[in-house]
Amino acid sequence: MGERSFDIVIIGSGAGGGAVAKELAPLCRDGARIAVLEWGPKLAEHEYTGRELEMAGKLYFDSGGVFTRQRTMTLAFGRAYGGSTVVYTGTSLMIPEGPVRRWGVPGLEWSDLRRRSLKYLRENNVHLLEEDRLNDNNRLFFEACTKLGFRVEQFPINVKGCQGSGMCNLGCPNAAKQGTHRVQLPAAEAAGVEVITNCKVQRIEGRGVLRAVVEERPYGLPSPWEPGEYLVRARVVVVAGGAVQSPALLLRSGYGRHLPALGRYFTAHPALILVGEHPRPITNFYGHPKSFYCDHFADRGFLLETCMYFPFVTAKNLIGFGEEHAQLMHRMDRLQMILVLALDPALPENRVVLDRDGEPVVEYTFSEAVLDALLESMKVSARIFFAAGAERVHAPAGEKFFIERGEQDQLDELITRRRLQPGRISVASAHLMGGCRMGAGPADSVTDAWGQVHGVPWLFVADSSLFPNCAEINPYVTIMAFADRVAEAVRSRWREV
Amino acid sequence: MTPLSERQWHFLLSLGRRLIPPLEDLDEEGRQRFRAIIAAALAERPTAVQRRIRLFLGLVRWAPVLRWAAAFERLPAPRQDRFLRWLQDDAPGRLRQGLWGLKTIVFMGYYGQAELAPHLGYTPCRTGNEKLHG
Repeated sequence: MGERSFDIVIIGSGAGGGAVAKELAPLCRDGARIAVLEWGPKLAEHEYTGRELEMAGKLYFDSGGVFTRQRTMTLAFGRAYGGSTVVYTGTSLMIPEGPVRRWGVPGLEWSDLRRRSLKYLRENNVHLLEEDRLNDNNRLFFEACTKLGFRVEQFPINVKGCQGSGMCNLGCPNAAKQGTHRVQLPAAEAAGVEVITNCKVQRIEGRGVLRAVVEERPYGLPSPWEPGEYLVRARVVVVAGGAVQSPALLLRSGYGRHLPALGRYFTAHPALILVGEHPRPITNFYGHPKSFYCDHFADRGFLLETCMYFPFVTAKNLIGFGEEHAQLMHRMDRLQMILVLALDPALPENRVVLDRDGEPVVEYTFSEAVLDALLESMKVSARIFFAAGAERVHAPAGEKFFIERGEQDQLDELITRRRLQPGRISVASAHLMGGCRMGAGPADSVTDAWGQVHGVPWLFVADSSLFPNCAEINPYVTIMAFADRVAEAVRSRWREV
Repeated sequence: MTPLSERQWHFLLSLGRRLIPPLEDLDEEGRQRFRAIIAAALAERPTAVQRRIRLFLGLVRWAPVLRWAAAFERLPAPRQDRFLRWLQDDAPGRLRQGLWGLKTIVFMGYYGQAELAPHLGYTPCRTGNEKLHG
């Protein structure tokens, strides 16, 4: 077994781990040894092919289809140099004051998160896309929301030289998206941080001792370490593996014994893809896929965003089969798409647990309020599609496969709760949050407001698992702001630990 | 061990034709790709998941015997659709989820074929911005 020693080890290289790595990198000048251990591969540029199944297999856990225990929702989260920042669309929103105030975490102020978020908006080249870069799929959503009197905003996005491949969720083939794999990690490496890819941390064995394994993959650049098992020692450990893997690692390592909230209060922004068919082709898969969002219904528990997905993802998200399904699928160039995100509460029973092999399993039950929100969101989306000129709409809880334009005044009868059965409709999530939530003490949280695990001064968490409740917006900028706080805490304490 | 036996492959293909009628029109290469994609996806899954899929495939095949005294593939197409629709809409949760899983792997085998994308009206390119304005 190989042995390695560092001052600081960061587990995971996504929005959280990547930000911590860059913030701590200047310590290398003073002799600090810092490593990032990343489970996933670092792909060579030519490996970003934009092919749906190939990229999903290389960049996501279980190709983006990790089931919950109830088998009623699939979870998509990345596994790569850059984590999920490789596969998001780059939408970069700063969290509003309301959710942070409602979280009520002592010592966590919105003004502080705002200041740190602004730093990352600058660092990641966040800006609004020029109007002539908006495709029909996005423009039609904006125009329809405006016509209906719904509040609609443009997403700022973090791209540089975007050529509109529309393949953001498959890893940008043009290297335009400014995820941690393009910004923070290269900067950290240039300053002396080591990034070890293909390295899975299995357990934290004791004070600052990690058991890890490096495995070869048939793709990606070789890991800097030879394949094999390693014992890695560190004075400080920062866990940033995301809302599924971070709680799982801490549970495997025995921290659940004194932290009853570990793994619990998992939230996911459960999402549905809705589709409207236009009578003629529109531009939808050309250009950036996600330019607008509508938060008009946030107080009713849902957000709407533009989106455009790939054939297989689209097919599995439509309800039904046979002629109608195939007919719709063979008109990809006429489809307008809306992504619905339900704002789900953090409940202790929704949680990450371990199976017999020590692998994470997410237990998640939809609350009645979430199901109500999803139902209403389908009706609102149908109205938007028709206002945009669609001739028919597919809603997963529809009484029939297509709702025709002439039936738009019967939406209450045609989109019904009895058809909204978990396990029948395809619900997915890419905004996984909670499991190591911040809070006042160990009774109902895992870390303090600076990401330090309660009672363990050398162990920190810096990722989406810190959210005490759902973010109510796309979460990555807030994750980076959290990580920035964690880095500050580590910087001030690592020598004493 | 291959994830499905020859008989199970054969049945999956006939079930697939009800789920995606254009599957009927696939040429030999397309059918090979269909099979290769599904085989690769199943091979990556834990053996317990593979077992569940085999079990559910058997259930879809033989459950119609109880009602119509004939296996799924011997039913007329409208009756096959009726049975699948019952599984999707009205069956107990586990059966609904089972059908969803089967549909997903069949859709993956067909819609996951990059070669078919142009037939779907899906022709993305790396420089999509150039196509935005005609």
